[in-house]
Amino acid sequence: MDYDKLLNMAAELGYQLMYSGAEIYRVEESARRLLHAYGLENPEVFAIPNCVIVSVATPEGHPITRMRRVPAHGTDIELLERCNGLCRRLCAQVPPLDEAQALVLALPEDEPRYSPRRVLLGYGLAPAFFAPLFGGGLADLVCAFLCGLAVGGCLLYGGRFIGANSFFRTALCSALASLLALALVRAGLGDSVDVVTISTLMVLVPGVALTNAMREIMAGDTFSALSRTADAILVASAIALGAAAGQALGGML
Amino acid sequence: MEGIFFDYVVPCLCAFLACVGFTLMFNIHGVGKLIAGVGGALSWLVYLLAGSTIFAAFLAAAAIGIFAEIMSRVRLCPVTGYVLVALLPLVPGGGIYYAMHYCVSGDTEQFLNTLLHTFGMAAALAVGAMLASSLFRAAFPKLRRPGKP
Repeated sequence: MDYDKLLNMAAELGYQLMYSGAEIYRVEESARRLLHAYGLENPEVFAIPNCVIVSVATPEGHPITRMRRVPAHGTDIELLERCNGLCRRLCAQVPPLDEAQALVLALPEDEPRYSPRRVLLGYGLAPAFFAPLFGGGLADLVCAFLCGLAVGGCLLYGGRFIGANSFFRTALCSALASLLALALVRAGLGDSVDVVTISTLMVLVPGVALTNAMREIMAGDTFSALSRTADAILVASAIALGAAAGQALGGML
Repeated sequence: MEGIFFDYVVPCLCAFLACVGFTLMFNIHGVGKLIAGVGGALSWLVYLLAGSTIFAAFLAAAAIGIFAEIMSRVRLCPVTGYVLVALLPLVPGGGIYYAMHYCVSGDTEQFLNTLLHTFGMAAALAVGAMLASSLFRAAFPKLRRPGKP
């Protein structure tokens, strides 16, 4: 068997899983189970939030290792479910290596994605319907929808201008949200600045990082849990900083 | 009757729609969208019924944990997406905002109060969902687990 190819395939699957926002234990267990299904005795997989390392020893005793660096990524549940399903299928059927590798490589390509416009609509919908939950009326709902669209547009289309630094990006979007909320309420469209701002900030809030951190703790991956918790706290302070800057700026005008 | 409608039905409907909005961002398709939305509505309902306190958030998170575990076994797919989306309405965005507000206006006492309350909320969410799904797994180890062939 071509162990180099097998190793590449397992590393690619781990990379895809990590890129879709899967938990550490899921990445490690999936890659390990896949290698095990192809007859390797003691495959070693190590993953932290931005790196996957797969190491195996061939039956002749020759050790080989592959490392993949995972760039900053969002959450893609569809890709995660597909990776999971494919891993289960490969482990159960163990198709020839070339066929399996083609399947793994095709994962991100034939995956359905929402068009940017639909995603933008999501960015508008979520804050709009959070407004009533925080005590806002119909006017606040409309305002939150507009602010959400602005933040979503900034995140989706403004990547070139605001850069890839997530701290800066979050702070900037938060400032934009609070400024826009202030402007809309002053223009007489909304009722409460607080409600509109909070509803809009809910799309930036580190709920995902927090949930992931908690799941890593549950699985016993303390190192990854700590780094994700730090991430959540950093994002939260970026939100606070941005909103404070936006309000201060709005107060001056 | 009208009280129930405006106190519970409308907020839960809003939580449902907000969570559906989030599914567009997380690229969730098909029936998963519905499950995530229902999870969000369920979490908000439990939170309202239990009195909107930190303990209520704990109970709501526990309800989500169990709901997501059941759904992942029904559909045989990872539990991640459902928990992720359904917990979002409870994440203390308001806490972060008000803490910032008090900090900037120099009201240290209120600032610390709000900050601790925010951390309490976050911890309650984390522990609630974690505890519920661990207990569920311990109680029903025989149920088929997604990912295990």
